[in-house]
Amino acid sequence: MLAAEEFTVREEPYYLPLGDEIELFEAAFRQRIPVLLKGPTGCGKTRFVEYMSYRLGQPVTRISQGGDGPGEAGPRPFVTVACHEDLTASDLVGRYLLDTDGTRWIDGPLTRAVKHGAICYLDEVVEARKDTTVLIHPLTDYRRLLPIEKLGQVVEAADGFLLVISYNPGYQSALKDLKHSTRQRFISVEFTYPSREQEAEIITHESGVDMAVSIELAKLGEKVRNLKEHGLGEGVSTRLLIYAGRLIERGIAPRRAAQVAVTWALTDDLDVQRSIEEVVTSIFE
Amino acid sequence: MSVAAELAARNRERFEGFPEPLLEAYEAGLRALEARLTPTRLENWSRGGLDLMAVSLRSWESAAEYFRAGPRIPEAAPWETWEQLAGEAASLTEQSAPLAVSFLRSAPETLALVGPNHLAQWADLGRRLYKGNWKSSSLAAQFYDAGPELFAAIRMSQAGRLTLFLDELARHSYELAAACLASAPEVLGRLDGADRAPFLTFGVELAQSSWADSRLYFDRGVALLQRVHAPVRERYLLLAARVARDHSRSAFQYFEDGAAALGEVEPDAHGPVIELAEQLAPHSAYAAMDFIGNSPAVLEKVRIDELPAWQAAGLGILAASREGGEAYFRLQSSRGEEVLDTLSARVELARVGEVLRLYAKALTGRDISIHAAAVLAEKGIGWVDEERASTEGTTIFLPEVMERHRDKDENFAAMKVFATHQAAHLEFESFAFSFERPSALFEDLRPTLPERGEARPATEIERFFDLFPDRALASDLHEIAEDARIDAAIKRAYAGIRGPLGRMQREELARRPEVSELPLRQAFVENLVRVSLDGAGAVRWPAGRAEPMAGGVAILQRLTAAGATAEDAAEAALRLYRLAIGIRNERDESEDDWDALPEFDEQSLDLDLSGLGGDGPPMELGEAPEGESEYESPQEIDFRGEFKPELVQLLMKLRDGAEQGDAGRISPEQLTEEQLRELLEKSAEIDLDALLEGDLQQTTGMFLSNLLKEAGTPALDSDAQSDQPLSDLSTGADEGEEPLAPVVTTYYYDEWDFRAQDYKPRWCAVKETALEEGGEEFYEETLREYASLVSQTRKQFELMKPELFRKIKRLSDGEDVELDPAIEWMIDIRTGVSPTEKIYWRRNKVERDVAIAFLLDMSASTDEEIARRDQQYDDAGDDPRKYLSWWVTKRRQELAAPPKRIIDLEKEATVLLITALETIGDDYGIYGFSGYGRDNVEFYVIKDFEERFGEATKRRIDKVTPIRSTRMGPAIRHAIHKLSATEAKVRILVLLSDGRPQDHGYGRDRTEKEYAIHDTRQALNEARREGITPFALTVDRAGHDYLKTMCEDMGYEVVGDIESLPRRLPALYRRLTE
Repeated sequence: MLAAEEFTVREEPYYLPLGDEIELFEAAFRQRIPVLLKGPTGCGKTRFVEYMSYRLGQPVTRISQGGDGPGEAGPRPFVTVACHEDLTASDLVGRYLLDTDGTRWIDGPLTRAVKHGAICYLDEVVEARKDTTVLIHPLTDYRRLLPIEKLGQVVEAADGFLLVISYNPGYQSALKDLKHSTRQRFISVEFTYPSREQEAEIITHESGVDMAVSIELAKLGEKVRNLKEHGLGEGVSTRLLIYAGRLIERGIAPRRAAQVAVTWALTDDLDVQRSIEEVVTSIFE
Repeated sequence: MSVAAELAARNRERFEGFPEPLLEAYEAGLRALEARLTPTRLENWSRGGLDLMAVSLRSWESAAEYFRAGPRIPEAAPWETWEQLAGEAASLTEQSAPLAVSFLRSAPETLALVGPNHLAQWADLGRRLYKGNWKSSSLAAQFYDAGPELFAAIRMSQAGRLTLFLDELARHSYELAAACLASAPEVLGRLDGADRAPFLTFGVELAQSSWADSRLYFDRGVALLQRVHAPVRERYLLLAARVARDHSRSAFQYFEDGAAALGEVEPDAHGPVIELAEQLAPHSAYAAMDFIGNSPAVLEKVRIDELPAWQAAGLGILAASREGGEAYFRLQSSRGEEVLDTLSARVELARVGEVLRLYAKALTGRDISIHAAAVLAEKGIGWVDEERASTEGTTIFLPEVMERHRDKDENFAAMKVFATHQAAHLEFESFAFSFERPSALFEDLRPTLPERGEARPATEIERFFDLFPDRALASDLHEIAEDARIDAAIKRAYAGIRGPLGRMQREELARRPEVSELPLRQAFVENLVRVSLDGAGAVRWPAGRAEPMAGGVAILQRLTAAGATAEDAAEAALRLYRLAIGIRNERDESEDDWDALPEFDEQSLDLDLSGLGGDGPPMELGEAPEGESEYESPQEIDFRGEFKPELVQLLMKLRDGAEQGDAGRISPEQLTEEQLRELLEKSAEIDLDALLEGDLQQTTGMFLSNLLKEAGTPALDSDAQSDQPLSDLSTGADEGEEPLAPVVTTYYYDEWDFRAQDYKPRWCAVKETALEEGGEEFYEETLREYASLVSQTRKQFELMKPELFRKIKRLSDGEDVELDPAIEWMIDIRTGVSPTEKIYWRRNKVERDVAIAFLLDMSASTDEEIARRDQQYDDAGDDPRKYLSWWVTKRRQELAAPPKRIIDLEKEATVLLITALETIGDDYGIYGFSGYGRDNVEFYVIKDFEERFGEATKRRIDKVTPIRSTRMGPAIRHAIHKLSATEAKVRILVLLSDGRPQDHGYGRDRTEKEYAIHDTRQALNEARREGITPFALTVDRAGHDYLKTMCEDMGYEVVGDIESLPRRLPALYRRLTE
């Protein structure tokens, strides 16, 4: 019914830092400053939040815990909500449901995150209805409050709560820009595509293919991204390159894998397809 | 008394009453023949003439001619001929005396030409033309008169065909037949003997099917036919005759086109082409002739040995569908083009340019344009070769066609290798060379060498080349080194291109000149070229002096390492230069064998590689010694094209300057003109002689201004975008003196041929232009006239304005529980009934997101006045006085308010619609269309989508006037193009017309309706496929018949009462969008 996932990250997700984003995020978390992640599709924003959630759930240093192993911090609950254009405030806050004895209030994902002190990640936040901003504003300043209108309550955020939103400036239409009043409540961490070597490392880790193949895939990614704005709305994501890697790992010929995971996945424009195809055939034997 | 005199005396009285000359002719004849004929025969001859005189009133004329002809009859003619002649003369005279006169007059000469045996035949042919009337008599007479002339040119059998032809023609026009006959001897005389009969046979066919063209055929046919290779002319004519036999009016046109086409084809190919056409002829004569007519165009694309494959594909289609096959051979079907493309192995840059552009952009990450190499040569900025690939830093220039292989894929692969090499120069930074930047693989020598140039060099690479006394050699060596580096980098980075590139290198190696025949220094350079082509094994060098060569090879091979830079190539070039200059450029006189290079330990060569500079005194780079043979550059390498780093760096520098606002002039900090001149004069990259003719001063000046012009336009790319419409901006040179001509933008669209069931590619040219502006009065006047309707419409449309959110009830999921269903739900639970789940409500955002394109028919027929019902003629009855007074009133009314035409109502409806649309705020465009023929579909913008409604719109409405035809298809397609560019969710196309689609060439002829209707329907279908709702509105009361076909299941409406149009239109729009 609602595009929300809620879980606790128990295993360390793989994340390859590209810059100082981990330190930044940690600092922001300690200071309870909401974070806005900017970057193109599939460059690892969600993975990053997952990773941070895991990492922040771990005791920061054993020394401060007196060397007694993992402290009380424990795994940190983590809530992701993929926003879409019909997502309303009550989808986030909660609603009454009916049951045999009348109505029952069910907390929405945001409310649960607020109550449990989780990291709440609103993916592609500009897609959501404008009324959600009513909720975001009091939560993201010094008040850290979530008003639940229907219950007549105001919930104060638990200590570990942090709101993280993501935003892809390239791909939304001009109509859906993030308003400044919202935007200026977050620090903004920019994500770009990783460098060729870093991306290759990620591909190898995620797909299991040889580093040599990964380097070629990363090269392909780099070349195809050169076509952005020239026939391609969006460059190829690391995620797609990983898919290609996985297919190769399962024995699909590299050219074919790149064709289905990159060329055809990216565009329907025949000319552009053909051009990407030529890049693919140049890179892979 | 002689026999003659006696005969004359005996018959004298029979000449009584006849004109004097008759007797004179008789007596003269007798005298002349006395010696030739026996007395009996002379008497017989005389009797023949005398009998003629008696036949009719005017028969004496033919008798006179008979007497005159006698002495002229050839000596060789046997007596039978004399008798025959007399017999023919008699029978002809019975038919028509003038005919017999003509016959007899030319009989002697004709006899001499055709021989006695053909006399009867000849007489018969003439007789066939004679139909008993005077016109036919004169034609037949003309035929006889022409005898001597005619038979000097042709034989009797051919004359038979000519007669058939004339006979056929005479059925339509004696004048034409006479004219053709008059020119026949000359025309036929020009033809080869063997061609005459077929020529005339086709003429007969032509006379039957389209006699009016016969004159043209006689005038031009010979010249045309002679373009066809002689051995196949007859076959060609037979093919053409098949078309004529199909009662086609255009048989001559086909003949003419086909012959003209064959004229463009190699004569050797005529045979195969005709043979292939003959295979088509049983299915369709038209297809066969079109096949011939289009053979030059097809042979442009495919080789002659591929032609059968193309024909076979079309034959298959032809066998299945005559119409489809004919379109195929007319080259009016997409399938035909596809087959052609597949067949044609060659790759045209025009077709793959866009793909390669994006490819090069992907590789380099820069905005690259792709152009034909000829474009670069035209610029006159240092490049002269029109075939070879190159780059000047922002654009990659490639050969226009690639046809070195028999396989299209291989040709494309070759083109791609060309492009990749040029792109790699950019990707691996050939032009970013910096004099000061250290190299990665060598010990830098550049700083240790004395710089020779006096002036400050313009570019880094020029500064580098200034180090060398012999620039040409240095330039060659540097190019080899840099290309070796680039090719190695390509092979390392692009595994997929390794194969084709390697193949190309091997091909190139096979083409290299024999090295042992070159002077030694050139052999050294040639060997380096081979190494750079990955052909170290192909190096041949005198065994006794292997060391410098081995050093050169080792230096070059070092550049294949990963991470080699442009500076490394430069360092390598320095070392290679030093090695090369030490070798005298003379043929090797030693007895040494030219062998492959032995293995060398690189260590042992180290001295040459890095010890050149060292700690010692600065080294001078040597100069070529006197007295050796002049050095020549190595043979060019195709796939590498031209490499001109000096010029590229110069251009890049000029461009940088231009971007900083110094366009078109040289800023002193940047470059001085002196520097440029110097560069120009000394650079090995510029061949001034080849560049421009004229004196040096002028040449350099021209070159400089070209360069600056080039640099002033940084991207060169303004016309490279293939998806941009072609604009012909007719601004002219004398700007400001006249008002600007309207901007006409041309778009091309396919047209649907329902017979062939295929599109005709790029068939129609739609010319878009903004409509002229008139006055605003019309707009204001309409608003006043329809004041109440306007306010009513506004009100209605305001009601349609969406609320931002609308509450939607009874959902299974929503924002909140809705009270009523919740209570029901509780009741159901309590009473034990299974409850409905739908108890929620939610607000849904309602966005009105509509774009509408409105197409107005501006055809001439909209000029028609609308007869008002209350002013019918029959109102007046039969009383003439009443009628008069009615007429007077009517005239008065008309003067006060001229009758409205359809177009006026269209305009008024548009005005009302605009007010409605402005109220509701939907995005809309209003366009008019008309035109004549497929090349000229006029598309007028009254208001474009992105344009805001304003005074200009009002003024343009005023100028909506009836123009010409109605070719709806392309206009609809263009409107689709416009609508597709809008982002609205609901897109509507309304077509307002006054009748069926109609245009010149929109169908087989003017009366055919199906073609136009089917094309329009197809266009409307296309709209639907694009997610556009099409709607056709017509004021033609007969519209139901064709709208049903045209719109099938799409929306359409016939507005029966035309005057209600202004009211109907807004209402209709509301219905469509609500």
